[in-house]
Amino acid sequence: MINYHPTLAVLTAFAQGDLEDSISLIVASHVQMCEHCQQEVAKLTEAAAEQVFEQDNLEDIEPFKETTSSSLNMALSIEMLDDIMSLDVDGTAEQSNFKEETLTEGLKHLNQHNDSYEDALNQSNIVSQNARIISHKDGELPLPRALNSLNAAPWQGVGKVSRARFQFNDDERRLSLLKIDKGGQIPQHTHTGIEITLLLEGSFEDDMGRYQKGDFIWLDKDHTHSPITQEGCVCLTLVSDSLYFTQGFSKLLNPLGKLIY
Amino acid sequence: MQLSINNFGTDKENSIATQPQLATDLCVCLDLVAQHKDKKAFTELFHFFAPKIKRFGLSKLNSDAMANELVQDTMTLVWKKAHLFHSSKGAATTWVYTLMRNTCFDTLRKIKHKDEISLSDDIWPTDAEEALADEADFKDHLLNEKVLSYVDNLPLAQQSIIKGVYYQELTQEQLAKQLGIPLGTVKSRLRLALSKLKQQMGDKYHD
Ligand SMILES: [Zn+2]
Repeated sequence: MINYHPTLAVLTAFAQGDLEDSISLIVASHVQMCEHCQQEVAKLTEAAAEQVFEQDNLEDIEPFKETTSSSLNMALSIEMLDDIMSLDVDGTAEQSNFKEETLTEGLKHLNQHNDSYEDALNQSNIVSQNARIISHKDGELPLPRALNSLNAAPWQGVGKVSRARFQFNDDERRLSLLKIDKGGQIPQHTHTGIEITLLLEGSFEDDMGRYQKGDFIWLDKDHTHSPITQEGCVCLTLVSDSLYFTQGFSKLLNPLGKLIY
Repeated sequence: MQLSINNFGTDKENSIATQPQLATDLCVCLDLVAQHKDKKAFTELFHFFAPKIKRFGLSKLNSDAMANELVQDTMTLVWKKAHLFHSSKGAATTWVYTLMRNTCFDTLRKIKHKDEISLSDDIWPTDAEEALADEADFKDHLLNEKVLSYVDNLPLAQQSIIKGVYYQELTQEQLAKQLGIPLGTVKSRLRLALSKLKQQMGDKYHD
C-alpha cells in the first residue's frame, strides 16, 4: 500500500509536461508503480487537453482566421499538409515493403500463424517494455520504465550507503539509485535544494514516518531528517544540492554528503 | 479521396469542426485516417488542431520556427499513428494532446541539453501501446524475439536504422536527423539491411 504520493500540483504539472526533466522521470517512476496516480494523471491530462483544444473553439473554428503574425499561415499549412499526407506514398514506401513482404514472410516461416505487421509491432512493444534489470551487491531489481534510456555509472559506496548515478543532464539536479544496507542510516541532514526519494525496494523510516515500496517523498530545504532502515532499501533519488549534515563531525561526514548528492 | 487544396479553410459547409458534436467528429476523422488514410478527414483534423498546436508551441518553445516544427511533427504522428487511437479509451483531443506534449518535451530537451534521446515515450507511455502489449501472449513474444535476433545479427549501423524505422516508427527523415547522417545514407542502409534480413530469414526457413 503506497501512502505517499506527489501533490496534486506536481501531478498536474507532470501531465502538462511542465516539470523539470529529471523531476518528470522520478514522478513517472512513481506513477508506474501507483494505480491511484495513474488515474489522477489520466484525468489531469484530459483536463489539460480540453483547455488547449476545446476551450475557445468558437473563436478558432476557422483556423486561418487568426491574423496575428504568429499564426500558422496558409501557404505553410498547405505545404505541411502535402508533406505529411505524402508520407504513405513516398516516405514510408520502403517501410511498407518491409512490413508486407519481408517481415510477415519471415514470420510465416517461423510459425504457422499469419501474423500481421500490427501484431509484430505490438510484440515489439513488449520487448521494449521488458524492464531493464540493474544489479547491486545484494541482488538485482527492475528499473522503472521512465529510466529505460539512461545509463547508470557503477556503484560507489561509503559504509552501508552506496549509489549509482544516472548519466542525465538536468542542470544541478542529480538522479541516482541509492542503496542502504540492512541496519544502515543516513545521519540527520538538511538541504539547500530539494531531495525527492522514490522507494523502489525495502523500507525505511525517519522522524516523519515509515515508508514502503512505491512511496514518493519530496523534501525541500525546510526539512531535516535522518532515514534509517532495518531491512535495507533501494531508492531512486533526485537531489539538487549537496546534503548538509546538521550534527557534529560534519567534516567526517562530508564524503557521504557528496556521495548522496 | 481527393483533396481540393484551394478550398481549405474557406469551405465552411465542409468544415467538420463547425459542427456541434466536435468530439464525435474528431473521432470519426481519426478513424477514417486510420482505416483509409483519408486525406479529407486528415485535412479537417489539421484545420482543427494545427493553429492550437501552434499556439501551444509558441508558449513553450518561444520560437516561431520551432512552433511550426511542433505542428508538423505532431500532425505527422497523427497521420501515422491514427490506428493506435481508440475512442473507447478517451477523447481524440486527449490523444493528440499527449502526442503534442511528448514531442514538445523531446524538442525542449534537444534545445536545452543537446539530448537526442527521446524520453517522452518512456515517461508517458500511451494507453494504446500498453493495452496492445497486454493482449499479445507469451508465445508471440518468443516469436518476435527470434525476429529480433536476426536484427541483432546485422551490423550496428544497419540495426539502428531497422530499429528506428520499424520498432520506433520513426520516419526516415527523423532518423537521419536523430543519427546525424544524410537521408540518402539512411535509405541505402535500410535497403541493405532489408535484403540481408530477407536473405537470413529465407536461408533458415525456406523449404
Ligand atoms: Zn501515487
